[in-house]
Formats: sequence, C-alpha cells, structure tokens
Amino acid sequence: MGVLYTVFIVGMAALFRDMNVKMNWWKWSLVLLWFILLSIIVAGGFTLIGENEMRAGLLFMAVPGTVMLVAAVALGRFLLRGANEEKDK
Amino acid sequence: MIKIDRRKFIKSAGLAGGALSLAGAAGAGYSAGADKDSYTGYGRTAYGEDQFFNRKPFFVDKPTYIKEGEPLRITTVEDIFKRNGELSRLMFSRGGEEPAWKPSDGIDALPGQLRDYYKANPGALEEFMKAMEKGREQRANWKKYREKYFIADAWSTAHSSPIGGRGSFPAGPQGRPEESDFRGVNKIKYELKSPAHGSELIKKICYSFGASLAGIAKVKKEWVYQGSLRGVGREDYEVPSHWKYAIVIAVPHEWDSMYANPTYGTSYDAYSKLRFIAGKMEVFLKELGYSARSHVPPTSYDLVMPPLAIDAGLGEQGRNGILITPELGANTRLAAISTDIPLEPDRPIDIGVSRFCEKCKICADECPSGAISFTDKAETVVRGYRRWQIDQNKCFTIWNAVATSHARGCRVCLSVCPYSRKNNWVHGIAREADPRDPTGLVASGLLAMQKKFFHYPGGQEYLPPPDGSNRTFGEAPEWLKTDEWFKI
Repeated sequence: MGVLYTVFIVGMAALFRDMNVKMNWWKWSLVLLWFILLSIIVAGGFTLIGENEMRAGLLFMAVPGTVMLVAAVALGRFLLRGANEEKDK
Repeated sequence: MIKIDRRKFIKSAGLAGGALSLAGAAGAGYSAGADKDSYTGYGRTAYGEDQFFNRKPFFVDKPTYIKEGEPLRITTVEDIFKRNGELSRLMFSRGGEEPAWKPSDGIDALPGQLRDYYKANPGALEEFMKAMEKGREQRANWKKYREKYFIADAWSTAHSSPIGGRGSFPAGPQGRPEESDFRGVNKIKYELKSPAHGSELIKKICYSFGASLAGIAKVKKEWVYQGSLRGVGREDYEVPSHWKYAIVIAVPHEWDSMYANPTYGTSYDAYSKLRFIAGKMEVFLKELGYSARSHVPPTSYDLVMPPLAIDAGLGEQGRNGILITPELGANTRLAAISTDIPLEPDRPIDIGVSRFCEKCKICADECPSGAISFTDKAETVVRGYRRWQIDQNKCFTIWNAVATSHARGCRVCLSVCPYSRKNNWVHGIAREADPRDPTGLVASGLLAMQKKFFHYPGGQEYLPPPDGSNRTFGEAPEWLKTDEWFKI
C-alpha cells in the first residue's frame, strides 16, 4: 500500500506540474487528506459488505462518497484557479 | 519500437497507483468485515484477551441503575419461568388426574402468590393463555418449517442436552446452603496474599474455563431471590452470610446464528457453555477450601444476574432489559458463582448505554411482541429501581409463535442492538468514540447511520405467515441451512 501511495503522489506531482498548478505543503495536505478520507470511506463500506451488510456498505460509500465528489470538484477548481491565474500573467 | 512518454507514464502510473490503493483499501476492509476472528468472546483465547475494551476511563463509584424507593427482593412468582411453571403444573396434571386449576375457575381460585400476581397484573393471565394457544399452533405448524430449520433445531437440541434432568451439570444444590455450598470443600486451605490476588486469580481461571468476561461483585440483599431457595424449596429466607461475593461470568451466543434470530439461533449454546464454566468454578473454589454455589441458566438461579453484572463492571442495562457490555453488546449471557473466598470487587462502569438507549429504540421497533418500552426515559420503578421494563408475558407469547419446534426463545432484541457488532475497526471506532463524547453528537450520528443504512425488517416480519414472513435479522450461516447439506 505504501508503494502504491508513493506512486500516486509522484504521479499527481507530475500531473500538477503539467497543469501549471503550483503546489505547496498545505495544498498537498488538502489533496492527501481528501485521498485518505476517500480510502477510509471505501475501506469502511467494504468492511460492512464483508459483514454481510451489503445495503449498509453501499450507502456508507454512497453518502459520504457524494460529499467527497463535491469536495474533489471544489478542490480541483481551487487548485486550477491558481494555475489559470498563472497562465493569464 | 513504441516510444513511451516519460511524463505520461508517470502520470498514468500515479492514477493507477491511486486506483489500486483504493482497491487495496476495499480489499482490506472486506477482509476485516468478513473475518470470523473479529467476533469477540466465545473463548477465542484462554487468557481474557477477548476483553479488548479498556474499562478504566469509564469506572464510576455508583452503578448506573437508578435507585428509587425501598429496594425489594424479587419473589419467585415474579420470575416468568417459575410463575409459568407453577401455573402449568396446576393446569396440566400428570397421570390423568383432574387438573388442580382450570381457567374457568378464575383467578380467585389460584393459590396465594399466583393469585396475588395475576390480580396485580391485569391481562397477564390472558397473555399466558394466548401463549399456550400459540404454542399449540407452533407445534402443529412445525411440519411446515421442519425441513428449513432441521439443522438449526438439531443444533439447538444438542446444546440443550446438558441442561436439566439427572445428567445436568452442575448438579443443583441439595439441602440448606450452609451444608450444600460447603459439601466437598477441601479441608486444606491456604491464605490468599490479598483479596486483589484472589480476584485476579479467579478471573484468570474463569478465562481458562472459557468465560469471555468475568467480574466480581459483592452480593447485595436485593439481588437475592425471595420465597424459594434451591435445594430447600418454598420459604422466605435471609441471605446466607457466606454469599459474600458473586463471580459473574459472561459468554456470547455463537455470532452468525445469533444474527439469524429468531429461527436459526438458540439460547442453549451460551447456556450450556456457562453451566460448564460455572460448574467447574464451583468445584475449583471448593478445592481451594471455600464455599461455592453456581447460579446458572436457564432457571437455576438464587441471584438476579443483570444488576450483579452491572455491579461487577461488566456493562449496563439496556432498554431491552438485557445487560449490554462494550465487548459483546446485547449478545451477553450471564451466570454467577456465590462464594466466601476473599475478593476485591470490581468497579461499575458508565459507557453511556442508557443515554444511547434513550435515543435508539431499535429493539423496541423490531420486537415482534411489542414487549419493549418506547418511552424516552426509563419510567417504571421495579422493586426500588427505575428502569425500562419489558413485558415478559408478551415476550413469552412470541417464543410460542415463531417458526421453531417449540418455545425456545426469540432473541431478536440481541441481534438488532447496535452494540452487538463485530470487533473490527469500524465498530471499534464507534465503541471508543461514543462513550467519550459528552455532547451525544457521536451517538446521534452513529444512530442516524444505523437506522438509515442498515436494514431492519420490522417486528411483525419475524413471525410466520400470515402475520409475517419468517424473516431473520441477518442471513443464516450456510452451516445451519438444511438445503446446503441434505437432499430436501
């Protein structure tokens, strides 16, 4: 899992560079917090599915998952706004 | 030769890494959820490792039950099994004799205590008659359901085999406690280093015998039955002076069958286990040179279990009248051994069960008999203590109505209780966070998820047709499904 997370971060760093997104420590913290929360929600949902609580597991992922999706859009727009401002200059 | 753009490769690998790590989280989560070892208790270890919950932060000086008025001892006739037993003996004579009492004779013709009870509890006698009627229907309908529940019934009968009759263990006491509890006591006796040493040793031995939880309480007078004493018979009696401490032990029902209540589960698995543990502990204490008397399910008690267990710090009483422990939730079955070995009693705990039960009410919604109170606060004062009181008579009627071979319990309130969940990280966080939150917001949030996310069939659905559809709360394990193993 550690290797996968590292690959993910390296890949994201490359992606942000290509998109002219200037990242700093707190922007990275927001991205990682989002990803860790998403991982926890997925793990929690599948834990409930493993307990034979399919409905609970799916809803556990769907409800906070929607919130995470909205958060992802908001976070993406926020990061890209910085990048667009950089381009305009 | 295909050229791979280095940056594109890194970006693609990063996205794939993210997706794979989410898949890993899903796999790890599924594995944690499906893991049978996260069913706590049931003697998974012999050294008390099943007690994963740290009670220390939740110790309180006073137990969480609410004293109100003068505490009274429970009389024999207030115990549903003893009351029903007495009434049945009067109604159904053996050997073709004329019954000593018929319903047409009326309540006034019943002997003293029974008459007083039914006069003080209007509707209770009618409920008993209804239960008898339902019992007849249940036995007649068993042919219809036998195939489906064939293994479950055999499994339950096997568990009940060490209970009752001449071969039961432990054998019931014979004679007065002053003789019976000392019979076979070793004359050689060593002095314990301290009562704390005594408690620690006793708990370790309890675990080695298979107890999931063990606690020590002082025997209070109000937790001792009145009006009938095992080994002696009917009489009012003072609490014997050698019943100083109660060693309270708890085990859960087998978890998968418990979730599949009312029809696949049984009470007897935990009962038989408790009888063996308590019986062995009785022998062990006598071998150490001390008096001992075991109090075991289903009905061989001189002590009332839940309040003793609360005193012993095992848990708190819930809306469903059952002891709820942090480890086992409502899936907690109890037995005790009264003794005079010097012990250090445990401290009671407050993990907020009453506060949670005030909001929850899932057990009341799901109870097929409607026996569990819906009042926000505990409103009934029972023998000097304010509590939620279940209607035992209604509860017993449903035992006689579900699709089992005979009245062997329902236990839906154990299955549906949000505390009766696995010991995995999801429920572990809930267990640890809720009692530490003074605002109650965690409990409200968890409860909202519990009610919206989990499926609860609804009380009537657990009943056979036409009233319901023989639903179980959880899916039955494959080893209890007849069609998985037999040609039916």
